This record gives sequence, structure tokens and C-alpha cells, in this order.
Amino acid sequence: MNNDRKLLMRRLQAADFALYETVLFLDGHPDNKKALEYYQRIKAERDRLMTEYAEKYGPLTPDRVGNQTRWDWVDSPWPWQRSKEDV
Amino acid sequence: MWGYEKKLQYPVNIKNPNAALAKLILTQFGGPDGELGASMRYLSQRYTMPYKEVVGILTDIGTEELAHIEMVCAIVYQLTRDLTPEQLAEQGFDAYFVDHTTGLYPVAASGVPFGACAFQSKGDVFADLTEDLAAEQKARATYENILRFCDDADVRDPIRFLRAREIVHFQRFGDAMRIAQDSLDSKNYYAYNPEYDKP
Repeated sequence: MNNDRKLLMRRLQAADFALYETVLFLDGHPDNKKALEYYQRIKAERDRLMTEYAEKYGPLTPDRVGNQTRWDWVDSPWPWQRSKEDV
Repeated sequence: MWGYEKKLQYPVNIKNPNAALAKLILTQFGGPDGELGASMRYLSQRYTMPYKEVVGILTDIGTEELAHIEMVCAIVYQLTRDLTPEQLAEQGFDAYFVDHTTGLYPVAASGVPFGACAFQSKGDVFADLTEDLAAEQKARATYENILRFCDDADVRDPIRFLRAREIVHFQRFGDAMRIAQDSLDSKNYYAYNPEYDKP
């Protein structure tokens, strides 16, 4: 994938990771105020990046396919496939 | 129910094939301490867990393990691209190839196929949570063993990520154990099984 796409994906993966780390912590500490606040902040960041990525490069979930002429959910690359630009 | 996001939890970008390494790493798909067993263990144990926070922990960690299956399979997939049958045989991959070509199938490094005997769902709070703590340590040790055989930086990177996650999961199951103990009588934790008995 080209550099901008790769960079955006990395930023999304990082925000997503932080979000799910917080989810796991909150599961065991559901009243922790600091964790709840952090969750809201990182969720906003992650949702923004997710939307940006999907708008530029295609849907990351099949329930948000915006393309009305083609079901681009099936388009490559799938996550385990390297694209030519990854060399 | 489950959703799927079309991205890996952590990137996998491997330039050089290596079927010998793939055969070892496959154990974290179908082996005794691998991600498939982990996800099935936690997702099975959650149904009768009486503590809602622990149901959350089991559900969310079990779900993350599915994402780890995907990463392990991505690593093996990339490590087995573009190799001739001669190269595959030389790298010890011929027996697997005969049965599965370069398809992904859950087996251990020994070749034993995945089985549910790799995990338990005992329906007992302390048995289940203790098993979960042990499972995370076994997985961590397995990733460390894999790293001993792995010189390729492209492969070491996602493997080290997966290893680190096991340590964090161990901490989270520690939280779960604490929650269970706090709900019970410290004078006799074994007075009854909260997954089955009424107090």
C-alpha cells in the first residue's frame, strides 16, 4: 500500500489498540473515572481515523459500505495479503 | 454476536519466505497453547460465569484471541509464499504440504491437529480462572521458544507483540481472580461453586 495509506493504517491500528487495552482494563475496573475519560478520548480519535481511512481507501466493516455502484468490501488487499507496494 | 474489521491488530509484513519457521509458528494456531485454544477456552467459560465483570473479561480477551489467530495465520501465509516443492521439502514442510498445500490448518508444531483437549471449561470459578492464568503463561513461553529460532526482524516484530499481549492478559485474569475472591467468604472460598450453586 502507498505510504499515506500505510501511515494512516498504522495510526488507526495504534488508536484501536489503545482503545481495546482500555476496554480490557475497564472490564475489571468499571468505576475507574480516569480510565472512563481516557476511553472517551481515545474512542473519538479512533473513530475519526476509522472514518478517514474508510473514506479514502474503502470499508473496514461490511456494515459501512458507502459505494453504491460496487460492493467494494470484497476488494483486496485482505489483511494478511501484502500488496506490491509493501516491498 | 461478532463483528470483523478488515485490518490486522498489529501489522505483519514479511519479505522472506521460510517454511521451517512457518511450521513452528503454526503451533500458535493449532497447538496446545495456541490462540485457537485460548479463544475457545475463554469464549466457552464465559456463559456460566456469575460475575459480570469476569464475563466481560472472558468475552473481550476471547475476542482478541480471534484477532491473534488471524495474525498467526498471516505470518504463516506470508512465510510460505513463492516456494517450490523442493524448497518446501528442504525446509521440512513437505508432510504438511501433502495434506494442506500452503493452506492454513490448525496443527501443532508436532503435527498433532488441534483438539478440544487443549483446553477446559470446568464450570467452576477457581478452576477456570486458574486455568486461564496458566494458559497465558504457556502461550508466553511458547512465543519465547519461537523467538529462539527466529532471526528475521520482520517475523520477530509481530511475535514480540503477541508475546507482550499474553503478559497483559495474565494481568487481566489476575483482576478477574480478585473480583471472584472479593465476592466470596475469605474464610472459605470453596464453600460453594458460584457458577452452579446458589449461595
